[in-house]
Amino acid sequence: MHSSTSPSERGLTGTREGALPPGLRKTAADRPGQAQPVPTRDIPTRPWVKMGLFVLCAVTVLTFAWEWNARTNVGLRAGDIGDSPQAWAESRRVADLAAVAIIGDSRILFDTDQARFQALTGIRPVQVGHVGTNARPLLEHFANDSNFHGLLIVGIADTMYFGMPVIGLGGDAVHNYAKYDKPSQLTGLWLDRWLQRYFAFMDSDYRLSRQAIRFDDGWRKGVDSPYEDVWKISETFPGRQYFMWDRIESDAYLRDHARHAWDAFKGPNIPPPLADKVIARTAEAVRRIRARGGDVIFVRPPSAPQLRVNEQKRIPRALGWDRLMVGARVKGVHADDLPQAQNLLIPEWSHLSRKCAAVFTDAYVRRLAELTPRLKLRVDAPPPLSRADCVPQDVASVKGRRAQL
Amino acid sequence: MIFNSLTFLVFFAIVMALHYAPFFSWHQKKINLMIASYLFYAAWNPPFVILLWVSTVVDWWAAQWMVRAKQERTRKLWMLTSVCVNLGMLGYFKYGGFLMDNFVSVAAAVGIVYHPPGWDIILPVGISFYTFATLSYTLDVYLRRSAPAGSFLNYALFVTFFPHLVAGPIMRPTELVPQFDEPRQAKANQIGFGLALLTLGLFQKVVLADGFLAPVVEAVYDAHGKAPGMLDSWVATFAFAGQIFCDFAGYSTSAIGVALCLGFAMPDNFRFPYGAVGFSDFWRRWHITLSSWLRDYLYIPLGGNRHGQARCYAALMGTMLLGGLWHGANWTFVVWGGLHGLYLSVERWLREHFKGFTPGRASILGLALLTFLLVNITWVFFRAKTFTGAGVILTGMAGMQAKPAPLIAAGPMIIAMVIVTAILGTHLAMRKTTLEAVVERTPSPAIAGIWTLLLFSVIIEQGQGSAFIYFAF
Repeated sequence: MHSSTSPSERGLTGTREGALPPGLRKTAADRPGQAQPVPTRDIPTRPWVKMGLFVLCAVTVLTFAWEWNARTNVGLRAGDIGDSPQAWAESRRVADLAAVAIIGDSRILFDTDQARFQALTGIRPVQVGHVGTNARPLLEHFANDSNFHGLLIVGIADTMYFGMPVIGLGGDAVHNYAKYDKPSQLTGLWLDRWLQRYFAFMDSDYRLSRQAIRFDDGWRKGVDSPYEDVWKISETFPGRQYFMWDRIESDAYLRDHARHAWDAFKGPNIPPPLADKVIARTAEAVRRIRARGGDVIFVRPPSAPQLRVNEQKRIPRALGWDRLMVGARVKGVHADDLPQAQNLLIPEWSHLSRKCAAVFTDAYVRRLAELTPRLKLRVDAPPPLSRADCVPQDVASVKGRRAQL
Repeated sequence: MIFNSLTFLVFFAIVMALHYAPFFSWHQKKINLMIASYLFYAAWNPPFVILLWVSTVVDWWAAQWMVRAKQERTRKLWMLTSVCVNLGMLGYFKYGGFLMDNFVSVAAAVGIVYHPPGWDIILPVGISFYTFATLSYTLDVYLRRSAPAGSFLNYALFVTFFPHLVAGPIMRPTELVPQFDEPRQAKANQIGFGLALLTLGLFQKVVLADGFLAPVVEAVYDAHGKAPGMLDSWVATFAFAGQIFCDFAGYSTSAIGVALCLGFAMPDNFRFPYGAVGFSDFWRRWHITLSSWLRDYLYIPLGGNRHGQARCYAALMGTMLLGGLWHGANWTFVVWGGLHGLYLSVERWLREHFKGFTPGRASILGLALLTFLLVNITWVFFRAKTFTGAGVILTGMAGMQAKPAPLIAAGPMIIAMVIVTAILGTHLAMRKTTLEAVVERTPSPAIAGIWTLLLFSVIIEQGQGSAFIYFAF
């Protein structure tokens, strides 16, 4: 066997205390056409143990300081476990055997109080919605899955459902569902959740790289700055239960920013042929789910008048929702048709406040129970909620006066 | 499993505890390491462990029979068996769809319409890395560069050893197998330095590559339907140069640190590559274990520089084209490799014709910057998924977009450029030294302070556990 080391290299293989002089740190690049010897790893002569202990202490102190800042100044809370493609994959897998699953965009995520749903029906729905995501591809994902035989509640925001030809932000989670359901992904998810039960700072919206770029509030013309992004507006709890982050209700700056980020849902009108195509695809997906014993029902959560005016302009209810019900032969609950769901608190105009989510859930679940035999109200179901259960009196009175005017 | 995941931290803690447990023999510790390595791999996709097994067993026996063979022809047969099995698996899983697509295109070009069933095959993570690692074993034995491993356990552990398993450094058996002969216990200082390297690697990956650079790259390279202008195209490409380095070098640095904590030495895979002066220098610094593998098992067998100029250039181009294809089943990677082959050929020609040229300091700096610039042009083909996409970026870089759209916000752009400039400056400043030599000259409080900041940044960046780019290769 050929010798693969030069005389100067012999005795330098493995690990070595002290840095090698320049030129003696050879790599395979320096030894063409020969067997490569055991590499040398030189350890710089430094008090690594002492330094390591210092780093451990300093990082612990800094981390707790960061945690204190997150709780006191930012308003983050431990127990807000966040969402991820892995969490979506976990819910999606559970939904296969669920009696009731919910899909849709962020509105149905925020506006459904799973505990209230369960209190009314005895069934806790599996939440498979995703922020910024068109519900139709999610519906088709279930239609393509022969395992699902339950009731699928599809929450829609009209402009997204009828006007967005792509899946949106949930594309990664949906398209890579199999990847995110692997053992290492799931263990990572469980560990992450466990840590987030104790640490508030672990919030993806307040990562270092996110915070570092927020100072740019539009320096470069013609390009969306990080200020235009949707910042944190939600808290997430087990079961992918989203609720409005209470700081959006209490902090005017954050609330105004969130409203600004929606840009009033402005956009081009949705051409009728596109809506027709969406309705046809919906009908086909619904047919396939029903063919194997499942069912589909739609819900349209509320939006504030500031957004609704543009939503209605881009796709009027008569051309969108109403035609969907007929064209896809489905039943549904529109927020406009629920007396209990009128004038609820929508702090940033698109999603209900946490308390009002329970009121809306109460209202739409009671209506769903009338529309489908798959949901029945429990005998011991709690009494109905009303707007007064979630809207502070002063807000209610102001809104009442505005309505009278 | 990936280094930048919570799962790995728990896994690593358990492996360390088992490795330093006093009640296990060295033999048992090696078995523990092998089981851990299989778990490390299986955590991604359990069935693909079978591929590892096939590769391990076939190459082990091929080498054994090679040594026992009395005729040269029989030795060659066993070597070819090993090559065919390994490249066959690689070809099926990695290039099957690519070959099928090209076959369909060629058939269509001659008027034959063929609609094959979808090639819905998942690429086993790291298959290119462990295929090359195991191939080097049988090839070294065939070329009589080394003897077969003394025990199956040592050999199987070499193949599966988790720090290098899925994304390199691509180790040769002669580099690692001898380390399994004797008990390995890292001293406290080695563990400390290993953890510091792990921190540095994670910082590069989690904070720099994923946190700050990737969004800038994606803003341009994934902006479908929008034409970037000159500024955006160059900034995104520079950012990708930083991202791919921090991603891949970050993995290698982490791997070296992890192995060091266990008492094993792994080879350097990067040596400040953006400080390279010329492309042969670049490839002595970038992904060293791959470039040297290609040199030893492809370029030299193809003739290298021993059979005249024409053969040498052909070998160079062939090696780099295949090296490009190794990175991914896409013609864009072939063009990336081809461009590097072209650069290397031109450099070789220039060296032949300007033998007396001795550059001064300013010339060296200028040539290093020119090298960096030209390397960035190749990155366009590496990052763009299609030639159309690459064309859009190159047109933007040339300032020839008719209606360019600004795509990168000022804040992220400034941060990305600061990071890339810092990377470039560091590489230029350290091109003749090593990290270890610099660390040894630096006062301990400064090192401890920097280490603290790196680790704290990793924690508050809260990496999203995104995979390393090279996992796909």
